[in-house]
Amino acid sequence: MSMFPIASITITSNGTNPTFTSIPQNFKHLQLRCYLRAAGATSYQYVYFRLNGDTGNNYTYHYLNGNGTSAVSSASTNQGYGLIGYCASNNNTTNVFSTEIIDILDYTSTNKNKTLKALSGMDINASGSNTGLWSALWFPSTIAAITQIDIGPDSYGCLAGSRFDLYGITTSNATGA
Amino acid sequence: MSVFLQPIYTQTIASGSTGSITFNNIPQTFTDLKLEISARENTVTGQTFVALYLRFNNDSSSLYSDTRLYGSGTSTNSSRLSGNANYLGSDEAANSTANTFNSVSAYIPNYTGSNYKQMISDSVAENNTTGIDMFLNANLYRSTSAITSIQVLPQITFSGYTTISLYGILRQGI
Repeated sequence: MSMFPIASITITSNGTNPTFTSIPQNFKHLQLRCYLRAAGATSYQYVYFRLNGDTGNNYTYHYLNGNGTSAVSSASTNQGYGLIGYCASNNNTTNVFSTEIIDILDYTSTNKNKTLKALSGMDINASGSNTGLWSALWFPSTIAAITQIDIGPDSYGCLAGSRFDLYGITTSNATGA
Repeated sequence: MSVFLQPIYTQTIASGSTGSITFNNIPQTFTDLKLEISARENTVTGQTFVALYLRFNNDSSSLYSDTRLYGSGTSTNSSRLSGNANYLGSDEAANSTANTFNSVSAYIPNYTGSNYKQMISDSVAENNTTGIDMFLNANLYRSTSAITSIQVLPQITFSGYTTISLYGILRQGI
């Protein structure tokens, strides 16, 4: 077996965001599976994240996104947070939650900046739906293993019932190509 | 207890550089295969990104084709390739942000079957600039042979700390 559940957070109070702390360091990769809807009564929202509580301008993100009409690719560099997808909000079709799967390879490495890659989707049965490939880079001045993940639709917070599941993935241990 | 995803082998370049990474003698007991790649090519000077390829069964004949959806951070396009290896995406090279590695996932269903081998892959080569390489790919290998080896090919050489993990996936009932 190589994929182990580390933690699962279900939002029980509207407007709050999850934090995964004390992430075990004994896996090779992480996968975070998100099922969420923003509590804010606005249009769809970005999914924000920070790693290890770092609020410095150490994040860059990119996306390749389709909205049912056209495809776009965009980016932002040197931000104080990363973006890693879109999510539905309370202004969208009732009962619609967004889905995304985020891969973080080699998360314990102290030799690599951390690259997050996500597939994100939210069909709201209307225009304003989105599906995309998202990518983000965390490049702190001192490279560190990931021990904490904060994620969610920023100040709006998540709607109760949103769920975030963190998994650790092991590998066989072999070195040398 | 789930056993659907099982590690077959992981290879990490501890230091220096390596021309390619090969997984031989792949067990034929799984339903599907999955690759996770974190790679970089410091040895390629003067470039930000370089190409990453994959070849099955050490077969370098022209049996490979790819359909790609691409994002650069500012624009998108879709295109097709054909050649003697499948295209997975890009690696960071010497001109990209230091210590930054790509992230690539590739899924290979029914790898022991006698149909042609269809793979789907997604990849991002990150950089602290607006321009990067992002790909969603459909990759075809027109061979009816079971896959027994996978060779991951850099444009020139992989850098130290490059790591590639191969997993086997089991369906229900096995």
